[in-house]
Amino acid sequence: MRNLLNFFIKHGAWFLFFLYVILSLLVLFTYNAYHASVYLSSANVVTSKIYEASSEVTGYFGLKEINKSLQANNARLENEVLNLRHHLAEYQTLNSDSASPFFQRFDYVSATVINNNVRHPKNYFSINRGSKDGIESGQGVVDHNGVVGIVNVVGPHTARVISLLNEDQRFSVKIKNSEFIGSLNWKGGDPTIAYMEEVPRHAKFNPGDTIVTSGYSLAFPSDIPVGTVMNRIKGADDNFFVLKIQLTSDFKSLSTVRVIKDNFKQSLDSLSKFDKVDEKR
Amino acid sequence: MTNDFIKYFLIFLICILTQALIFNHIVLFHVAIPVVFIYFILRLPISLKLTWVFTLAFFTGLIMDIFSDTPGVNALACTIIAALREPIYYAYVPKDDVTCRLIPSISNIGIINYGKFLLTFIAIYCLLAFTIEYFSFADVKGIVILTSASTLFTFIILFAVDSLIPSKI
Repeated sequence: MRNLLNFFIKHGAWFLFFLYVILSLLVLFTYNAYHASVYLSSANVVTSKIYEASSEVTGYFGLKEINKSLQANNARLENEVLNLRHHLAEYQTLNSDSASPFFQRFDYVSATVINNNVRHPKNYFSINRGSKDGIESGQGVVDHNGVVGIVNVVGPHTARVISLLNEDQRFSVKIKNSEFIGSLNWKGGDPTIAYMEEVPRHAKFNPGDTIVTSGYSLAFPSDIPVGTVMNRIKGADDNFFVLKIQLTSDFKSLSTVRVIKDNFKQSLDSLSKFDKVDEKR
Repeated sequence: MTNDFIKYFLIFLICILTQALIFNHIVLFHVAIPVVFIYFILRLPISLKLTWVFTLAFFTGLIMDIFSDTPGVNALACTIIAALREPIYYAYVPKDDVTCRLIPSISNIGIINYGKFLLTFIAIYCLLAFTIEYFSFADVKGIVILTSASTLFTFIILFAVDSLIPSKI
């Protein structure tokens, strides 16, 4: 007995070593991207406070560039508003007797990025809005250039977002003005390049074509820009091909983003309950 | 004793914060990633009990993981490198009564021995961390390039820092 005790005392450090190795392996393998705890992510109270303080300072860097692209975007939107107003006026004169109430499907919550990473194979960023602002896991996040990610873990005042630059995350996208759907996936390395996979062979496209969200996922409305086609590369499967995509958002300088709230989500979720019942049968 | 505690606590804070706020956002040529926070583990006294070295290393790694959203990667790599620290140290420094009470630094073990120790320590750490993180990639060439570029980059930064700070600290 004494020998056993001595053995434990003598090699206690190495038992501790194995305990820590097992603990880290547990964290490494059980930490599912979707059911992660807030405490072990950058959305927890301490880390988000530190990141918020540092982004107060670093938020000023790159403002010039952001301003420029905002101005360009603003001009484009103004144009669009004018166009739409024109169309609306036409439409209203045509349908002046049927006064159907218009229900807005999507709401936007604007948020500031307080911490951002592009160097890992699985990147995340944190924003300064949380459950108190109506943020929920699974909501889409866009910036003024296009899609940037999907909300993952939500704290009361902060949330962690799965960046588009995360090899585990796929986005349903299509070639603009066509119905050719594919799935967008980032494969590590260059933060400006991603790949659109599972594009049907008969799809028509030209280099420079815009890639937009398909609208088939609950996270994003359709036609939000994602990137532009660079060229075609050969896929693993002969029936589909893969397009190399130049992303429109500059992930190195994310600052202000908008989280998309889908007002139909509840009713759509309650519909998908019926799917599960069907599956069980 | 209290002095040492405060000193190491400060080194710990500086290492974690500079890594989280500055170095985590630097990637040179898409491949070189500075990993400077391991300086804290590297600078612990060789005479410190292994129980403490493992505990401090594990929690340093875990805190870094929380900051950079890489659950378990740094915690595992830090725990393993903490176990390898002594063997690496004695690979370059003769084991005797004097050396076993030292803190690895330029003034204590000489610039060449310290350089070798630092380079080996960083290289093994980078190899561990990138292998764990990019495991699903199974891209050996990518891991080798990342490891060598990051090792060199981190080595230059840490060696410069070591040459600049006064030897008394």
